[in-house]
Amino acid sequence: MHRRYERLGCAALALLGAAGSIAFAFFLPDPPEAPRWVGAGAQTPQVGGTFVFHHEANVRSLDPHVAYDELSGMAIRLMFDGLLDYDHESNLVPSLAEAMPAVSEDGRTFRFRLRRGVRFHPMAGHPEGRELVAEDVRWSMLRLMSQDVGSPGYPFYASIEGADAYHEGNADDVAGIRVIDRYTIELQLKEADQTFLNAMAMPFAYPVPRENYEHWGDEVKFHPVGTGPFVFEAWERGVQLTFVRNERYWREKPGPERMLYLENIGRELAAQRFRNGDIDSIHRQSPSDYRFFKTSEAWRPYMVEEPRGSTYGLGFNCEMAPFDDVHVRRAIAFALDREGWSRARAGRLLPASQLLPPSIPGYDPELPTRQVFDLERAREEMRLAGHPDGLPEPITVWITGQDDTSRQYGELLQSDLARIGIDVRLRFVSFAVYLTESGKPNTVPAFFTGWNLDFPDPSNFLFLFDQKSIHPEHSENRSFYRNPEVDRLLAEGKSERDRERRLGLYRQANEIVARDAPWAFLYYTLTMELWQPYVRNYDPHPVWSEDYREVWLDLPRERVARSLAGVGGPVPARFYPMGALR
Amino acid sequence: MDPRAWRRFRKNKGALFGGVLVLFVTLTAMLGPLLASHDPNEQFRDTLIADDGTLAGIGQIAGHLLGADGIGRDHLSRLLHGGSISMLVAYFATALAIAIGTFAGITAGYFGGFVDTLWMRGVDLLLSLPFLLVAIALVRVIDDPALWVLVLMMALLSWTTLARVTRAKTMQVRELEFIQAARALGMSHTRILFRHVLPNVLGPIIVLGTTLVARMILFESALSFLGLGVQPPQASWGSMLQEGQALLDATPRLMLLPAALITMTVFGFNLLGEGLRDAFDPKD
Repeated sequence: MHRRYERLGCAALALLGAAGSIAFAFFLPDPPEAPRWVGAGAQTPQVGGTFVFHHEANVRSLDPHVAYDELSGMAIRLMFDGLLDYDHESNLVPSLAEAMPAVSEDGRTFRFRLRRGVRFHPMAGHPEGRELVAEDVRWSMLRLMSQDVGSPGYPFYASIEGADAYHEGNADDVAGIRVIDRYTIELQLKEADQTFLNAMAMPFAYPVPRENYEHWGDEVKFHPVGTGPFVFEAWERGVQLTFVRNERYWREKPGPERMLYLENIGRELAAQRFRNGDIDSIHRQSPSDYRFFKTSEAWRPYMVEEPRGSTYGLGFNCEMAPFDDVHVRRAIAFALDREGWSRARAGRLLPASQLLPPSIPGYDPELPTRQVFDLERAREEMRLAGHPDGLPEPITVWITGQDDTSRQYGELLQSDLARIGIDVRLRFVSFAVYLTESGKPNTVPAFFTGWNLDFPDPSNFLFLFDQKSIHPEHSENRSFYRNPEVDRLLAEGKSERDRERRLGLYRQANEIVARDAPWAFLYYTLTMELWQPYVRNYDPHPVWSEDYREVWLDLPRERVARSLAGVGGPVPARFYPMGALR
Repeated sequence: MDPRAWRRFRKNKGALFGGVLVLFVTLTAMLGPLLASHDPNEQFRDTLIADDGTLAGIGQIAGHLLGADGIGRDHLSRLLHGGSISMLVAYFATALAIAIGTFAGITAGYFGGFVDTLWMRGVDLLLSLPFLLVAIALVRVIDDPALWVLVLMMALLSWTTLARVTRAKTMQVRELEFIQAARALGMSHTRILFRHVLPNVLGPIIVLGTTLVARMILFESALSFLGLGVQPPQASWGSMLQEGQALLDATPRLMLLPAALITMTVFGFNLLGEGLRDAFDPKD
């Protein structure tokens, strides 16, 4: 009999536990539906407060020469400036340079004049900081190009005269980089390259002080020193980074006293904390949270949803059967119901018809060869390929990740291609495996892929289909697509100085790529960003993701009483002393 | 079966309830695909967003009794098909595990010596491996695992307990007079094993087998939840859990229904197994 009681006891406990957790889940206060805090109503930009933002993963390096990912970029842009920068219309504008550089007649030489009185942050040996001079720019470029540093950004600067000799260790200096005087530096290229100024605006080219690198050696990635609006304060690795306002910044810039960058906060958690007022801006949402914010009236004024400079698609290896047949590729490109995919992703995808996304010059909504969903044409292409009844063998498509999202994309693809008689097997692999394997010839037949811009220029997308981007390993041209016509257009575009003619060349290349379908273009992502009502002057940047440099806080923030949240009437922060501390 | 065992079983309300649950789930699994109103893989994408671009709740959609999932597939049909896949995998894997475990157990227990050592060290080895990790590693190695590979792998990792219990029971039975008599009469080992030993160790096998089905259902769910089990677009309760989790807040039904079905089924099998054990082994 003893055992019976024991079992009864266990069952009762389990039941109690289950009931308890359900009750807990029901009575746990939901995060507020509407913003919990509002600003004080300042009309002019304010100094002070702490701005809190986050990312889902770990920051790995704060050395601008090495870091090449979005989340280190978010931190690096707070602390460093480049010679050039982008405005909110994606135009290049001078930053540390006094003006746009003077370009020589042949388009090969660029002369930059530095702004005077720009100071580096305090560092070892210079407690008050030190003035930025042309020699710093030269030293920084040299370090970036040296083989030992192994910067992923080197290829962007390889067109500088003498860069390869220096990179391979055959020269001590780069012939094409010349310091003219204390504030002037000249860069000379082997041949005209219209994207070189874009490269000079990339974080790789941010000037850094030599003393700091000599002082810290390999540890320098944890001790960044730049000229930017915020000074590095502390990094509790894997947890958070803090930055304080640069009092000696070269331009008048109101803003928060302190920036707090939380690492490793997953998107669900971040959304909860955002709704509770503990995080000031979020930029990624789970499907559930996306639906919540998308349908929330109260959050609408503090939200934008815009396409970003990225294109996603289904890549084909044009050297592997059956994708060596252009008709098979085109059939697939016509068979994808991109609108339907968008619906399945709650409208978060913008159907893609071509390589260039809408924000990039050269995008043409009326492109004659644009890829659209057209089942009749898809079937026609299958007939032309000699497979009117579909492919005899299933195709294998590589897809990164193992989560429900990648599974969903896979299932959408399976369902679409079943209509033209193509059976799809999915192979789930990690991102690292995908990167390595798809860069090798004859390895990955078809794969979900995408490209996010380095700089807002069509060449930064089209180089993906240049024969020059094919290598035995680490090919950027993962489609192994070869078309001499495209190669010629890209080579001409590189040196063409007339903007309209240059764009014309890229338009042609874009048209050919859409026709030949080395990728079936799928979608451009829409990024939804939200910020708290007391966060002012945040305007998502078209080139830099999550660029918080221009933000200021309208403090003290005031708590909105929950009962009034729906009405929207702010209530003084009297009983919420923590609110004023922000 | 021992009539007394049956009487004891009948008196055990919990076990009867478990039996009914098991019967119900098994029947639904067998008939599920026939009952489903839609193709479980057909995507009714138009239902997901209203034509004016506003988000329709994924919930109530005409013609779909339980609504549709994230990409517009009929939820009820997927539950039915998924159940049938889950149960199929669980039953086959269990049957295979029973076959291996019983064979190992009776040969080890009956012959003893080298055969015994061989089997039992094998069991020790398998038991020392972390179950789920091995499964994950295996699935990673096997590119594109077919359903039967999954079944085979689950069975190969699960026969150990069965082998141990059968072995112990066989060692008891081996010493009984009728086995001695059969041996004296010159009966072959095979005949003794299958005619005389096996029927006498059947009790614990049935009991263990029943609870093993429950474990297999959980195992398959875990693997599919991790994306390693049933391959898309096929549904199983485990893979439906995975697909539903992203929409847990917006549409909890997508995750809660398969979760409830898994819980219910496992609960049923465990109750039944407990009841059977009490019936066969009335010591306490």
